Amino acid sequence: MTNLEKYTNVFAEIFGISEKQIEKLKYQDIKQWDSVGHMTLIAKLEETFDIMMDTEDIIGLSSFEKGKEIMAKYGIEIK
Amino acid sequence: MLLKNKNAIITGSNRGIGKAMLIAFAQNGANIWAHSRKESPEFTELINTVSKDYNVQIWPIYFDLTNYAEMKNSVKQINEYKKTVDILVNNAGIMNNSLFQMTTKDILYNQFEINFFSIFTFTQYISKFMVRQNSGSIINIASIAALDGFDGQSVYGATKSAIIAMTRSISNELSLNGIRVNTIAPGIIDTDLINVMSKEVIEKNIANTALKRLGKPFEVANTAVFLASEYSSYITGQVIRVDGGRL
Repeated sequence: MTNLEKYTNVFAEIFGISEKQIEKLKYQDIKQWDSVGHMTLIAKLEETFDIMMDTEDIIGLSSFEKGKEIMAKYGIEIK
Repeated sequence: MLLKNKNAIITGSNRGIGKAMLIAFAQNGANIWAHSRKESPEFTELINTVSKDYNVQIWPIYFDLTNYAEMKNSVKQINEYKKTVDILVNNAGIMNNSLFQMTTKDILYNQFEINFFSIFTFTQYISKFMVRQNSGSIINIASIAALDGFDGQSVYGATKSAIIAMTRSISNELSLNGIRVNTIAPGIIDTDLINVMSKEVIEKNIANTALKRLGKPFEVANTAVFLASEYSSYITGQVIRVDGGRL
């Protein structure tokens, strides 16, 4: 499984939405991605990629696309 | 055994109330990441003895509460065990008494750094493990100094008040992830920490206590076991006084 597939699966699993919906997804676009959903997403991303995100990055992960940039800071290329 | 197969982190578990918690949690079947500021032969012997006596696993973790790089490294070590983290006991702390007008900025900042900022950060890290598993119990150790106010403890009491405020706030936030957060506010407990208090102050406190004695570390530890266990499954956001009854 590629990192992109893993990354996408995390969003799909946590928010229960399709891949098509995920691509342009932003924080609070859907009711599932509220502050609680956000922490669940972060916890799952950390577990999946075995990383520990800094608080600034937890706050900064405001969209599916932005998350890819943040993952790169931890050496995870999402492609 | 109330904590059979649970995994707990206890900070400051090398002495006083933390040491009593280490023993009480092990007696109740918990495996423990036992934190101390630094390695010592006494702590290693304590861990080995308790682990053997109660047939549980105890893994030492070492970091200075003011060293965030060391703390982060310890969290990474905990993560590498690939085990659930069911319980966090934020026990480590310091007490540095000084009268209000004689309190320097160093005393102020140092106590907040150790008693609050570091605990806040460590709890941020560890609660993410609990969010993953959608369960957990966080127990913070404060003090009745936060609730009653004692001479010379304006800073110490304020740091513990901050812990109580954090408890109330994050118990709401984390409840949605199945995590309970509570605080124990011990009274005067017979540990090294009271060495900074004069004999007169200790005697006055005993006189103001309904049970007319100092508390014992195991009495605080037993309360922590209760809050860590399923016996307290409907308790969150609370401050429980373990103080022998203040008059």
